[in-house]
Amino acid sequence: MGRPGAVIEVDRNTPPTLFHFGEGVRLERLPLGTRVVYPPDPLPPIAHPERAIRRALAHPLDDDPLKSLLRPGMRLTIAFDDLSLPLPPMVQPDVRQLVLEEVIELAAAAGVEDVHLIVANSLHRRMTAEEIRHVVGDRVFTTFYPDRLYNHDAEDTEGNVFLGTTAMGEEVTLNRRAAESDLLIYVNLTLVPMDGGHKSLATGLGSYRSIRAHHTVHTLRNSRSYMHPPDSALHHACTRQGQLIEDAVRCFHIETAVNNHCFPALVNFMQKRETDWTAADQAAYLTVKQLTDLAPPAVKRAVFHSMRAPYGLTAVHAGQVDAVHERTLAAVERQMLVEVEGQTDIVTFGVPYLGPYNVNASMNPVLVVCMGLGYLFNLYRGRPVVRPGGVVILFHPCRYEFDSVQHPSYIDFYDEVLADTTDPAEIEARYERCFAEDAWYRQLYRRSHAYHGVHPFYAWYWAAHAMEYVGDVIVVGGERETVRHLGFKCASTLADALEMAEQTVGRHPSITHLRFPPLMLADVR
Amino acid sequence: MRFELLRDLELVRRGWRWGQVRPEWPEPAAAIPELPSLEWARAEPVRSLRWLVQQGLWLPFTRLMTRPEVEGDEWLRDQDRAMILVSNHVSHADTHVLLAALPDRVRERTVVGAAADYWYRRPWLGRLVSFWLNTFPFARSGGAQGVLHSSSRLLRSGWHLLIYPEGTRSPDGRLQEFKPGVGHLAGETRAPVVPIHVQGTHRVMPKGRRIPLPAPVRVRIGRPLHLEPGEASRSFTRRVERAVGELGGGSRAPEVVGSWIERWRATAPARRRPRPGGGRGPAGGA
Repeated sequence: MGRPGAVIEVDRNTPPTLFHFGEGVRLERLPLGTRVVYPPDPLPPIAHPERAIRRALAHPLDDDPLKSLLRPGMRLTIAFDDLSLPLPPMVQPDVRQLVLEEVIELAAAAGVEDVHLIVANSLHRRMTAEEIRHVVGDRVFTTFYPDRLYNHDAEDTEGNVFLGTTAMGEEVTLNRRAAESDLLIYVNLTLVPMDGGHKSLATGLGSYRSIRAHHTVHTLRNSRSYMHPPDSALHHACTRQGQLIEDAVRCFHIETAVNNHCFPALVNFMQKRETDWTAADQAAYLTVKQLTDLAPPAVKRAVFHSMRAPYGLTAVHAGQVDAVHERTLAAVERQMLVEVEGQTDIVTFGVPYLGPYNVNASMNPVLVVCMGLGYLFNLYRGRPVVRPGGVVILFHPCRYEFDSVQHPSYIDFYDEVLADTTDPAEIEARYERCFAEDAWYRQLYRRSHAYHGVHPFYAWYWAAHAMEYVGDVIVVGGERETVRHLGFKCASTLADALEMAEQTVGRHPSITHLRFPPLMLADVR
Repeated sequence: MRFELLRDLELVRRGWRWGQVRPEWPEPAAAIPELPSLEWARAEPVRSLRWLVQQGLWLPFTRLMTRPEVEGDEWLRDQDRAMILVSNHVSHADTHVLLAALPDRVRERTVVGAAADYWYRRPWLGRLVSFWLNTFPFARSGGAQGVLHSSSRLLRSGWHLLIYPEGTRSPDGRLQEFKPGVGHLAGETRAPVVPIHVQGTHRVMPKGRRIPLPAPVRVRIGRPLHLEPGEASRSFTRRVERAVGELGGGSRAPEVVGSWIERWRATAPARRRPRPGGGRGPAGGA
């Protein structure tokens, strides 16, 4: 059994602390007295995943065994999470492959001819054939691709149906094939608590019309945090939409959880606490540091994005969505939760090279904000680690660098919208609809591999809660012009950043460093 | 300036990577420079040197990286004639993997057809690859009679010929249409054609990557095919293409009108896969 998460206080004997820095890493000496929060060690994986999956399908929670739901002549649709999960992509076989193979095996045994598999990519970019193959495995891919295994298209007016409106006025649309199926199976991978549950179907197979109901500045500012579904307005809206979907289609959910073993053996030092580093880990760090300092960004990106995480399956549950998700969340929290005593004036953390929206692409400045002030800041339960009006210090090179294939609307968002204002509410009111309905972005989303035109807005909204809550945001090592354009401050070193932060929070501030990835959920008491 | 240049290059490189199916423009006629004689590559002492390099360097490396699982190599052991070995092509790693999969006696007598307009455009690269893998220039347009003639000369002098009739690496691992050269060659020499399917090399070194990554690879070797009396070379090419496709479990886009269930059952794995997380540690609760 691995060690639970821990909070240590920096003293004279504490080794320097690792900070992720985009496509690179660096060690920093933190001031004495700084708290460093470490995630728990990886939980041991299930020894026989296929057996566990078969058992989950045969004994589902609050539902009939999957085998009894399958019959010849039925329309069966299987939807699954796209490449935004897990991060980094995991080594083959992906747990979704294992689940899909068991489900398809049952469908084949039952003689179900009409089977479609849909990537629930929502407004994310379409996955390439190779990316789909990596997730589903060769056997599923060669059997179904491309006619019966494809990406969801949220902009296909014929391919989506309007199901109705929730009691709170949220519109609900669903992929037509899924809506007209006799059985809709969703195969999920829950990496963090915001994933899974009703959100899977409501957003994964939804369209702009349904997603705009909850991806708003108001909802996200009232989701404190969206990493803790009971306190998340976003999840409440998704639940209402999901219940409407469940009323319209017979659904069967399969959710999986993995441990936090997210780095391959070659860079295992990133996984370890610095106190556990061996000479080999130190040598590995030095090598990686020198190479990432010297290598051009494209080379670093190619190397970093080729990393595959050796995640291990820790839980698999099937059946009715609420019962399944409750157990899945328990498993995820078992892996992620760390108790933190009280808030702090300043919180520091490094933003790594990868977020959910830049798999095989660079992390552009908007995504740096989304990742840092959105996902990483919100990894808390109860209260944020930093106090209201406190300071967040991020580490990231924050270069003006965009992937023109994947993020075309991000470029215009950064250049035109952020040049005008950085206030999420104002941006939402003045610009969102224009980008969301732009014919060119729609075309790129449907035919190329671009994120939807509205996506940069959502990325910005994810950070709306943090922007409203904190007093200052300082980016260490960032490109000065870019960071200013985002509306934040820039510092060259941690010492400079701390000095700047003192102007906001006062002298002798308390500092907490969150040492992720691996990801963790701070339970702030 | 240096960094500006790199950035511009990156923009150009990324700007055209649209990832969607592109139109298949007819290939221009292969521009093959005047080739030096490559007889030296198949003569002593180069053969012995190559054997040393193979045994000491890239064969162990290839086996370590790919752990090749070979099926059907018995079809090669009993052949006493020169053969045309025909394989699908997804990666630069294919040739190393296929040569590693061949029995020693066959490998030593195998020459590899390498795209003339790619590998032999630069003389030094052509010489290097000829030494390293025993290659010879092979035209991709399918119409270069001179190259076909040199191929048949090699076959007649007892060398086995490994060629990739798709002409180029498949962008997504699916089998592409075979060019008719293989049928012409079999018709001219009456040599048996051995269909081979290699799977998994796209993970070792996909198109566009320069550094190989470890990944398991499977090589399936099929029964040798012979040109039937009266069979046209183009229809024989189609037959070879089907045989390679069948070895790969139908890697061309499946016809959905048929039953997916039959295809699913036909591709059932013989052995269990490795588990996520390596299955280490005690059994966890499901």
